[in-house]
Amino acid sequence: MSTRWYPIYQRGNPQLRVFLPNFWMKLVRPHPKQLPNIVHFHCSMEMTKYDIKNYLEKIYEVPVVDVRTKINMGKFKKDVVKGYVIKEDDVKVAFVTLPKTMTFKYPDLFEKSINEEEEHAKSLDESKKNFRKYIDHNKSRPDIPSWFSI
Amino acid sequence: MRIYGYLAKKVGDLTIKYSNFPESYVKKSYEQVYWKTPAGYPQYKKAQVARKKYRFTTNRPWTGQFRQQNEPGTLRKKVFLEPIRDWTFFRGDRVEVMVGKDKGKQGIVSQVIQERNWVIVEGLNTHLRVVGKDKNFPGITIQSEAPLLVTSDVKLVDPESLKATDVEWRYTEEGDKVRVSLASSRIIPIPKTAEETIDYKSKELYIDNIEKDTTADAATKITFAPKLRTFEMDIMEEMGIKEDRVPAKSYWY
Amino acid sequence: MNTVIIKNIFRSTTTLCMRSQKSINTAAACIVKRDFHTTKPTQDLMEFFDAKKNWPETNIRVGRAWKLDELRLKSNTDLHKLWYVLLKERNMLYTMEHECNERVRLFPNPERIDKVEESMNNIESVIRERNIAYYKLETGETGERPVKDVINLIGMPEKYQPSEYDTPKFMNTRWVRPYLKHGFINSLAVKKFRRLYNEKIHSEVRKAHNRDFNHVQHLLKRFPNLDMDTLKAEYPNVDIEKAKRTKKSRGHFMPTY
Repeated sequence: MSTRWYPIYQRGNPQLRVFLPNFWMKLVRPHPKQLPNIVHFHCSMEMTKYDIKNYLEKIYEVPVVDVRTKINMGKFKKDVVKGYVIKEDDVKVAFVTLPKTMTFKYPDLFEKSINEEEEHAKSLDESKKNFRKYIDHNKSRPDIPSWFSI
Repeated sequence: MRIYGYLAKKVGDLTIKYSNFPESYVKKSYEQVYWKTPAGYPQYKKAQVARKKYRFTTNRPWTGQFRQQNEPGTLRKKVFLEPIRDWTFFRGDRVEVMVGKDKGKQGIVSQVIQERNWVIVEGLNTHLRVVGKDKNFPGITIQSEAPLLVTSDVKLVDPESLKATDVEWRYTEEGDKVRVSLASSRIIPIPKTAEETIDYKSKELYIDNIEKDTTADAATKITFAPKLRTFEMDIMEEMGIKEDRVPAKSYWY
Repeated sequence: MNTVIIKNIFRSTTTLCMRSQKSINTAAACIVKRDFHTTKPTQDLMEFFDAKKNWPETNIRVGRAWKLDELRLKSNTDLHKLWYVLLKERNMLYTMEHECNERVRLFPNPERIDKVEESMNNIESVIRERNIAYYKLETGETGERPVKDVINLIGMPEKYQPSEYDTPKFMNTRWVRPYLKHGFINSLAVKKFRRLYNEKIHSEVRKAHNRDFNHVQHLLKRFPNLDMDTLKAEYPNVDIEKAKRTKKSRGHFMPTY
C-alpha cells in the first residue's frame, strides 16, 4: 500500500499507525504580550490538536500541556491590471502551552548580521574616492606613468 | 504538439547542471505564477495564471537581474532559435570565432547559455562598457564579452591541426559517446572545466559542510538486506511493536 | 551497534556531499570523530532554528539531495530515521524562511528546501517500490490504491479512484450512483456543455498546430541551412514540405545554384 494511504478503521482492526508523517510545523514569533510558556506555531492544515501534541512530544521531545488552534483566513486580493480575484492560503495557527516551569523566548536571529548592501555601498564609495584622488593627483602631469609617484 | 507551452522545458540541462540547484528550484525561481488553483483539491481543474514568454539572456534564470529583465508587463520581440539536436559546446572548450572583429582567433569557452544557443568566449568578441557612472564620478571602463551563436559564429578546434572543424557525436567501441572532429577523425575530449558549477570548480574540490552533509562513506554504505516484509512490518518489528489483530475485510468500489 | 552508528551519522545530516575520492578520504576521519562524539543532540524547541553560528550567515552551502540509487542501498530502519532527520530539517528551514520574510531579510540558500523535499520524495518512492515488490510476490497485486478508467455521469472519460468501504456494494444503501439506475445524463444542458467543451479542446489543438506551423515557417526563413531531420524531430506534427512552399518561409537570400 502506498505510504500516503490511510486505511479505514473498523472495530477490532490493528491500530492505525503513521510511519512517515508528512506534517510540517514552523515556530513563529509570538505576539508582543504573551506568557513565556506559550509558543506559537504555523502547521499543516490537516493537523488536529492531538496530532500537534503528539508531533511535539514524540519527534521533538517537548512536553506539551495544552494545544489550542485557529485558522487564519487568507486575504482576498484583486489583480490591479487584469482584475481577477485571488485568495491567499489559509494558515492554521497552534498555540502550544508548555509546562509552567518551562519558558521559551523567541531568539533574535539577526542580532549580529551585517547589512551587506551597506557594506557594498561603502566599499564602492571608497574606491570611487580613491579613483578621484588619483585623477586629481595626475591632472597637472600628463604622460607620466601611474607608478611614477612619491 | 505544444498546447501547454509553459509546461515545456525552457531552461537547458547544462544550465541546471551549472547552477547546482534542483530543477524544481530553478523553475520556481524564474517562473512568474500569479495565481494557481490550490493543490490537493480534486474538484478544481488545474489552472494557472502565469507569464508564458520569458526573455533569456546572459543573466542566469535564478538571478535578480533575470527577474528585473522579465518584470511583469515587459514584452519583448520573439527570438527564433535554430533547433539543435545534440549540444556540442562545453565550458572550457577551445573554439575559433568565425565572425566579427575577432574572426579567426581562438579562445576558451567561459560560459554556455543553452537557452539562446550562445557561448561566451573568454576575451574575444568584446566591447567596452562604462560602469558606476554618476554625476560626480566618470565611471570605470571595463571590457565585456558578447555572446556568440554556436550554430554559425563559433566552431570547435581540431586537436591535431588546431584549425576550426565541424564535429559529430559518435560511439566508441566501449560504448561511450564522444565528440569526433570531422577534419581529422580525432576525439575531442570534454574538458574537465565542463563540470564546474557555481559552488565548486570540480567535484573533488567540493568542501563538505561538516554539520549538514552526509559523508560519502555513510552514503554509500549498504545496509539493505532483502526481507519478505513490507516497510511497515519491518519498522514495527524493529521497534518491538507486536500486533496480532487481523484487519476486517474491506471493499473497494 | 550498527544502528547506533547510523543514528550518529544521520544525526544532523540532510543532504549528501558530492561523491568524490577526496570527500571519501576526509569523510573517514569525520566518521571516526563523530562516533566518539556521544552527547545527545539538543532536544528542545531550539531545534526549530538553525545552529546559532549560521544565523548571521548569508551563504550556507550544502551538498545535493539524496538520489534514488543511494536510498535503495539503505535498510528500512535507516530510511525511517532519515525521514525524521529530513522532516526536522524542513521544519527548521520553514521556520527560518518565515522569520526572514517577517523581518524583510534574504533567506540564505532557499534551494535547501527543494533539496530536502526531493530527498523525502525519493525516500517515499523507494519504500513504495519495496512494498509493491512484497505485495506482488505475496498477493499478485501491487497493493496500491486502485484506479479505474470510467465514463462519468455526463459521458466523459474519467480516472475513478475507488474508496475503501466496510460493507459490500450491494448492501451499501448510502453509496448512490444514479447513472447506474438511470443511465448517463443526456439532457440539453449536458449536450451543450459537451459541445462547447469539445470545441474548446479542438480550438486549443488547432491553435497549437497553427502556432507550430508558423514558427517552422519563420525558422525556415531565418535559417536556410537548417537541418531538416532536427526540425522534424522537434516539430513532428508539422508538414515541413508544405511549410517550405509557403511565401512566409522565403527569406532574403541569394539562391544557391
